[in-house]
Amino acid sequence: MRTDAPAKVRGALQYGADLEAEGMLWGALVPSPVAHGRLVAIDAAAARAMTGVRAVVTGEDLDRLLPKGGGDPARRMFPSDELTYRHQPVAAVAADSLAAARAAAAAVRVTAQELSSVDGIEEIFPDWPGDEGRRSPHVVAHVHARRGDLEGAFASAEFVLSQIYRTSGVAQVALEPHVCLARVEGDRYYVRTSTQAPFAVRSDTAEILGVPESKVVVEGSWVGGGFGGKASALLEPYAVVLAAAAGRPVRLGLSYREEFLLGRSTLPAVVRIDSSVAGGTITGRRVRLLLDAGAMLPGRDFATGFAIGFLAGPYRIGAVELEGYAVRTHKPPFGAHRAPFAPQCAFVVESHMDAIARRAGIDPIDLRLAHAWQEGDETPLGQRVGPFGLRAALERAAKRRSEWRADGRGTGGIGVACGFWSTGTGAGGEVSVTLSRTGVRIVEGEREIGSGSVVRGLVAVVERLTGLPPAAVRLEYRATDAAPFDSGVFGSRTVGALGRAVETAVRTALATLAERAGVPEVGLVYEAKELRVRVRGRARPLATWLTAAERKDGGLTVRGRHYGRSGAFDAGRVLDGEFYAYTDFTASVALAQAAVDPETGAVRPERVAEFLDVGVALDPEMIRSQMEGGIAMGLGEALTEETLWAASGRLGNPGLLDYRVPTLGEIPPLETETIEGYRGAGPFGAKGVGEPPIIPVPGAIANAVLDATDAQVPELPMTPERVARALKPL
Amino acid sequence: MAFSLASPRTPAAAIRLLADAPRGDVEVLAGGTDLLLDLDAGRVAPSRLIALGRLPWRTLRRSGGDLVIGATLPLADLERDPRLPRDLPGLFRAVRAVGSVALRHRATIGGNIARASPASDLLPVLLALDARVRLLGPSGARELPLPALLRGPRETSLTPGELISHVVVPVRRPSAYLWQRVRPSNDISQVGIAVARRERAPYWAVALGGVWPVPVRLPSVETILDAPVPGDAQVERAAQEAALRAPFVTDKRATETYRRRLVAILLRRAVHAVAGAPQGRSR
Amino acid sequence: MSGPIALTVNGRRRRVDAPDAERLLDTLRWRLGLKGTKEGCRSGACGACTVLVGGRSTLSCLTLTHEVAGASVTTVEGIGREAVGRRVQAAFAREGAVQCGYCTPGFVVALTALLREPGPVASAERLLEDLGGNLCRCTGYAAIRRAVEAVRREVD
Repeated sequence: MRTDAPAKVRGALQYGADLEAEGMLWGALVPSPVAHGRLVAIDAAAARAMTGVRAVVTGEDLDRLLPKGGGDPARRMFPSDELTYRHQPVAAVAADSLAAARAAAAAVRVTAQELSSVDGIEEIFPDWPGDEGRRSPHVVAHVHARRGDLEGAFASAEFVLSQIYRTSGVAQVALEPHVCLARVEGDRYYVRTSTQAPFAVRSDTAEILGVPESKVVVEGSWVGGGFGGKASALLEPYAVVLAAAAGRPVRLGLSYREEFLLGRSTLPAVVRIDSSVAGGTITGRRVRLLLDAGAMLPGRDFATGFAIGFLAGPYRIGAVELEGYAVRTHKPPFGAHRAPFAPQCAFVVESHMDAIARRAGIDPIDLRLAHAWQEGDETPLGQRVGPFGLRAALERAAKRRSEWRADGRGTGGIGVACGFWSTGTGAGGEVSVTLSRTGVRIVEGEREIGSGSVVRGLVAVVERLTGLPPAAVRLEYRATDAAPFDSGVFGSRTVGALGRAVETAVRTALATLAERAGVPEVGLVYEAKELRVRVRGRARPLATWLTAAERKDGGLTVRGRHYGRSGAFDAGRVLDGEFYAYTDFTASVALAQAAVDPETGAVRPERVAEFLDVGVALDPEMIRSQMEGGIAMGLGEALTEETLWAASGRLGNPGLLDYRVPTLGEIPPLETETIEGYRGAGPFGAKGVGEPPIIPVPGAIANAVLDATDAQVPELPMTPERVARALKPL
Repeated sequence: MAFSLASPRTPAAAIRLLADAPRGDVEVLAGGTDLLLDLDAGRVAPSRLIALGRLPWRTLRRSGGDLVIGATLPLADLERDPRLPRDLPGLFRAVRAVGSVALRHRATIGGNIARASPASDLLPVLLALDARVRLLGPSGARELPLPALLRGPRETSLTPGELISHVVVPVRRPSAYLWQRVRPSNDISQVGIAVARRERAPYWAVALGGVWPVPVRLPSVETILDAPVPGDAQVERAAQEAALRAPFVTDKRATETYRRRLVAILLRRAVHAVAGAPQGRSR
Repeated sequence: MSGPIALTVNGRRRRVDAPDAERLLDTLRWRLGLKGTKEGCRSGACGACTVLVGGRSTLSCLTLTHEVAGASVTTVEGIGREAVGRRVQAAFAREGAVQCGYCTPGFVVALTALLREPGPVASAERLLEDLGGNLCRCTGYAAIRRAVEAVRREVD
């Protein structure tokens, strides 16, 4: 059982939303009233005069409140001139109560000259742009790469299948909204916050405030869900300047409505995908992506160059061309969200694969098996594929599909889809491990966000390495001024990278003890709540092998660090823009059965099975929990979830009634299976499991719909109306 | 958002409080599941709320052929009535379609009616069952057929100081309520359709939600269906008529075109469900 | 202003001097320090703030404190005072129905209320249907389903 579960079922843990401090004030943000415009004036006189209001901060106050020179001008907290999305914070308020703060924020009069806004990518590029694309002032990133003779492949093909797909924006919907609590002591800023990445919040906050990182201390709280949305600073700099202005601690949190309006998440995209096929083989593929980047600053786009690789699929194809534009619109900036944009990419390429299979008269799984990457294959950019369990996963899916067809427990169509992911082990981290009489203590800087990667993952590494029971291992969380550095809990990297740091530290400690004992190796045992060292088959007190200084310090302390390397790709294939190499290759395959109401278009998933390439299963229970959660989130993205962006940067559904995440009733029986034996970069060959499970789900549902109805729905989510339209034009 | 709350214990006190308050400065709190959202969003800003929770209207009784539901009865209590699923299957299903269990512990039938929401799941069934509302106000009690009360979203023909005290529903009429949603559970219906069948002509009542500005009966559809067990062709004509006549609009939940397609589908299914589907395909 | 009111919270009599407009959620969390009850959407759509009022599951974000004057309120901190609540808590922990844990108090309280309803214990299917107002973003509900089925077998 997870060590945090007993306290969580009693409601006994302190989340960010529960933070409180003596003399605390409540903060609120003042939003831009327009999606695009010029800021003319901010009149805060009325707000300042209201009862209980302790501080109102605008852009003009920053120079007074922050050290001279303050902050990265490109990342100003408050815009000085151009407003780039609706609800962009233009001022902030602190007051005695939340109600007073909200009332004061509403009383701040913001005058803006409204300019015409760019509401969608197809407004800028209704068709695929030619040369004008790269010159367009709306483009914040352009990536382009190619390999092989695409024109030749297309010219000699039996057929070229060209399709266009559209995907909608989706939101993380962590149940706990963003929230933090800041205070100022001398020239240091202390922030307690609900975050996936305390050190990233520290560096972001320092950069935005224009102070050295050493002046910012970030302490994580328990986190009520992150899913990528809490992996960088959002509210922290605002809370700090409010605390500086008011001279008291300030709690700043988002309402759930603001969570949708200000949060950064996946935005809409249009993908054109063309493939040439000859003799049952896909000989060429061209992918052209238009991604809505929102109010993304130039140079900060990560999605286009990373995600576009997913659009070609994990398949051997001789000639490939990838081209993408990140287009700036007047929405909040694009942000990370559980495997950012990868489920949408897999929906596109996997729908396209099934369309090819139909046209070529090949079984969908056979077509994938014939093209699936194996270790040693090359990505379109020429990176060598590492150990990769895709074929094994597909074979398992094929077997399960036969069983499903035979057992008659479902009535709907059956679809399969593949996904792949690169665990973010390139982002490094460190831990400090102490062996003492009472056990193994891991000092680290990450708070558990829910996935179990910290409370179980790091402990599982020690268990596997030493055979010690979990009770012998204790985690000690520390704030950024006292913890070893770590990059954060994101990118499925925690066990992969921080777990390797734990592994290194424990191995070093064991080697040290072995050297002192004059033996090739020692073991650890935990008996009667005491950690002992096994030397030549006999358990001896740990103190026997410690130095006097170590005995005084309470044990043997060793640092472990892991800074992984990415693979390399062939830069000669890049024509423009920034691409990213993969660090690890993780496969996931989903099999879905879904019934479709042929009249209304309603899709009812009947069951989903998933086959996940985990390298080695360090903790099967935690892996299952990530798979089940990922499948459910994938079903939401497949069928019901979308942010409804309308004209002038307005969001039509900033709430949980109309932004529809799955409820219990929407989730059918789920089956999860792991594929082992294809070693990853994590400890003992483990691969990250946080993100891969969500990736293939929308594609598998799409292909189940295709199997059931002979119709493809070229858009996510596949709402009843979109399915009905695909079945019979409205 | 500072307001004072009054919780009168008698209808007379409630009516007096309501009648004495300046218009627009007072709001009635029945279950509060919509009103509190409006307060949060600043859509209303009264200085006084009058809570009806302590009035003696949390009642449910049978009188002759009618079910008489107290206006402040939480929907969960209506749903728990052991005879409701058999007596009024359409109403039972519609009640369970409203929000979640915890929401139904506070949401009341009177509150739901007074909100007059175009997307209400309850109103179509109540309309199809010929429900009546009993009102109590400064000048006494009166009873209205439900359609006479509904004007549009958050608009009713209640006069100043007047409250809904009871809802009267004739029982033992076969009825069905079908709806379509993007998310099957806990969502707002794109289209909701209720049908009920009387023992003698005119046999059919058909009412719709997901329309604008307020749920309505469709008399021309009812006329076409005029037989206890209408034939397939008759049902088909009725479905086409419903698609043509329903006051649908496009909003964020569905386009008008899709709603027209849906209503025809759901009408066929609902009529067949109630008529026992001897000719048509049962779904 | 209606003045101070009395509430029985987790079996203890509490005197509360809250403004008329205050929500039960805020009274519990910020006035009484019972932060086990979570604030999620604050609009009745997520179930994280579910508490029992007079034994019935209630969305504390959509309830004015003064409306429930005199009532008995049970939060997740008090739900384990009775056997059914303890069994629900144990089943959630044991079956892995807890990840980030932010929705957990709402689920635990809502399920306990369903299991304590008078009459025969509802079917697992009905229990699951009646938990549809509680959102969980981590577990995919699969482990929650297992916990519900397990605890139902125990109390039946």
